[in-house]
Amino acid sequence: MPKRFFALLTLPLFLLLGACTDGPDTAGMKIYRHSLSGSPTSLDPAQSATVYANHVVVNVYDTLYSYKYLARPYQIKPNLAVALPEVSEDGLTYTIRIKQGVEFIDDPAFPDGKGREVTAADFVYSLKRHFDPKTRSQGSWFWAGRIKGMEAWKKAGSDYDKEVEGLKALDRYTIQIILNKPFPQLIHTLAQGYSAVVPREAVEYYGREFSVHPVGSGPFRLQRFDSVGVVLLKNPKYRKEPIDLAYEGYDEALHGKYGIREIDGKIPPLVDRLEIHFIKQSLSRWNSFTKGDEIQYAGIPKELLDDVLAQKQPSIVLKPEYAQKYFMTSGYENGFVHTDFNMRDPEIGYNQDKQREKMNHALRCAIRYAFDWDDRNKKFYNEMGFVFPGIIPPVVPEYDPDASREALRHDPALGRKLLDDAGWTTDMLPTLTYGGVASVDSRQMFEQFRGWLMKIGYPKEKIVFDSYASFGDFNRAVKKAKIKIVGMGWGLDYPDAENTLQLFYGPNGSPGSNNANFDDPEYNRLYEQTAVMQQSPERTRLYRKMNQIVLDACVTISGLSRRQIFLWHKDVVSFPDQSIVGGFHLKYVDVKEAEK
Amino acid sequence: MEMLQYALRKFITGIPLIIGVTLISFLLMVYFGPDKTYELVGKNPTPEQIQEVRHQLGYDKPFVTRYLEYMKELVTFDFGYSDSTGERVNSILARTVPISLALIIPGFVLGNLLGIALALIAAYHRGGWWDKIIMGGSVVGMSVSFLIVIIAFQIIFSSNDGLGWFPVRGWNVYGFWDYLRYVTVPTLATVFVALGYNTRFYRAVIVEEMGRDHVRTAKAFGTPPGELLFKHILKNAMIPIITRIMFSIPLVVISGSLLLESYFGIPGVGLVTYDAITTGDQPILKAVVGITAVLFVVVLILNDIFYKLVDPRVSLK
Repeated sequence: MPKRFFALLTLPLFLLLGACTDGPDTAGMKIYRHSLSGSPTSLDPAQSATVYANHVVVNVYDTLYSYKYLARPYQIKPNLAVALPEVSEDGLTYTIRIKQGVEFIDDPAFPDGKGREVTAADFVYSLKRHFDPKTRSQGSWFWAGRIKGMEAWKKAGSDYDKEVEGLKALDRYTIQIILNKPFPQLIHTLAQGYSAVVPREAVEYYGREFSVHPVGSGPFRLQRFDSVGVVLLKNPKYRKEPIDLAYEGYDEALHGKYGIREIDGKIPPLVDRLEIHFIKQSLSRWNSFTKGDEIQYAGIPKELLDDVLAQKQPSIVLKPEYAQKYFMTSGYENGFVHTDFNMRDPEIGYNQDKQREKMNHALRCAIRYAFDWDDRNKKFYNEMGFVFPGIIPPVVPEYDPDASREALRHDPALGRKLLDDAGWTTDMLPTLTYGGVASVDSRQMFEQFRGWLMKIGYPKEKIVFDSYASFGDFNRAVKKAKIKIVGMGWGLDYPDAENTLQLFYGPNGSPGSNNANFDDPEYNRLYEQTAVMQQSPERTRLYRKMNQIVLDACVTISGLSRRQIFLWHKDVVSFPDQSIVGGFHLKYVDVKEAEK
Repeated sequence: MEMLQYALRKFITGIPLIIGVTLISFLLMVYFGPDKTYELVGKNPTPEQIQEVRHQLGYDKPFVTRYLEYMKELVTFDFGYSDSTGERVNSILARTVPISLALIIPGFVLGNLLGIALALIAAYHRGGWWDKIIMGGSVVGMSVSFLIVIIAFQIIFSSNDGLGWFPVRGWNVYGFWDYLRYVTVPTLATVFVALGYNTRFYRAVIVEEMGRDHVRTAKAFGTPPGELLFKHILKNAMIPIITRIMFSIPLVVISGSLLLESYFGIPGVGLVTYDAITTGDQPILKAVVGITAVLFVVVLILNDIFYKLVDPRVSLK
């Protein structure tokens, strides 16, 4: 018996051998440990739809363009490209030159395992991949219908050896893109992880597993990726381009206190090893962060805000004991949350009976008057969210700070009057389904919403929660236009209001991004008109007009931009940002001390 | 030879069990599980793109065809690629199962050994103070939620607000000392919770055994307590104990411990399985369900063999 027990007890030791990996020699290395509240599933640029995926993708791959490290509002800058694109007079032809001598990392996918030079043909291949069904691209909508000949190429079987008229490598280092019609936001799409440059050899060598074997030319290369984190190592072949802080938007008043001046003239990436930990549990993340040697960056868990912050409004102030240990910055997210009405549902949206359609309009407006933004902000966003009227959030230049706030007014009495005036009676009111992913937060939001509606006389039993087990299931119901009222969030892909205005463009209706299925001829006309315009006061005026159309139609209850708070240890030189693209700042992060 | 024949025979009779379990699970996955399509199509898909993804996922094939393909995958042990990450399912399991085992086995072994030891003490002093103290402690262990235990232990042993002796999270295991650093707190949490259930169960089994004639006779002959407990009671109580331990093994091997892995940031198979359930990653789910079913059949066979080893009167027929 003792022998058997001994054998049993030593079993874990043998298993341990299987669970151990080769130990890294980190002595003398500069290691920065970052944390994220979610995890990427795929590291294939074509599938980098989330901010989590982009944290890795833009650090292991190169994009033609990027955003300046510190300049806000965001400013685009060349990355793999030599300069900003040369655009033809008619705005249809873009010529982009890329840097010479940039190389992919060494990888078994290449002959002899030596990474070769990045060429214009690689970019052409990378963009074509989005139109190959095998790639399962999540970013093809950026360029769908916009690049000349791309749809025909796809229809003909996505043969990479065949040329696309509007996407060519003119020579080894020159790319030409020809558009069907002007697309001023094109340059922004070329800064996204989706447009990262991948080598064909690696895609073919790894096949499906390319998504976990990134082979790029970015500042880092992948060492490990699993469900709890990713480890990136400095790419020794990364081009030597010293940081010009003035060019990157350095402002002593804003950035001086973070010690960022120290990195001026240094060559990124500044750390040898970058670890990104995926931790969904905020308390676990916080404990690890406060421990210091495990994670150097985090947000503050909701339940600890009052313990950590001395003040939430008008500015955020840390309590002295935390301010002593950590740097902090905060800002509004590049996006917003909003609640849409499904206009395809005849009980609340468009209806062949024009009288009923008018009544539905009154119903939607009444519900909007019932909505209490202050209460929502207080209960769910710690009173730190920024409430604004419509769909142009404060982070984009087209935001109108002087816009009427009527659409945000909480006035249940007026809501009740609107219903009465339109001829609604309690019996006639339709049953409202409020959809959401099954979670405590969603349920509480629904209960709050139901409470407000009851104040305008809506019967409790006619407001029901339609819960879904997963985001996929919820999204399926939304894309099939099955839910009457949809609570959603939108993260901007690029800092241009076009990215949010397209959410209400008729042809983008379900299963597209227009979850409200709003289809207004005037709005559609203005969208098409502005979609080809460069940024200008006239375009801003039209954008704001479109915003007003959405508000007048009472098609959405919008919106609120959440405030994000970032904390990091004082031995880290950084200016965190995870909103636009996500993680593009990580190549500039420095730590003061190397590992011993 | 007799044992091998028995094992083969038993395995063949276990095949209907495997088919039953996999069929019901697959039915649930296909008709009630999350639809992966809408997680893969991006923010602004067209109906054609949705159709393309559904086709690639095989959702447009008849159920029978899909189930037969699953059976082929189980027989060839090739479950294809994860629908989420694109990584080979076998590679994922090969990477994560050893980690989960290394994480769970210390707690599993200690939880059972200590449970048996405490149960012996409690049963021997049945009705006395030792019994009351041990059973009271067991109730505490059973009453507190595993999640609370994990968070409390993390704060007490790992965080800066507590003792700060161990890492809060992670699995940077490159040697034995690393292993001890990362596995200690999860093991303590596991043992704390498991001990309650185990001790109560084993005490009940041992108390029943203590009331038997041969034990009373041994006592009457003046057998010393140690010999009485280990030779006359524990040995005869081994069959239910083995059954309990053996039937826990498939879940320990393949399911891991979701909460431990999630809160301690350990990249084991529990976390992978949980993500697969919530996102509808069918290739991973098919592998986990199929392998668990096969393991249960294997455990049934091993269980019978162990019975014979413990009690020679048991016949393998």
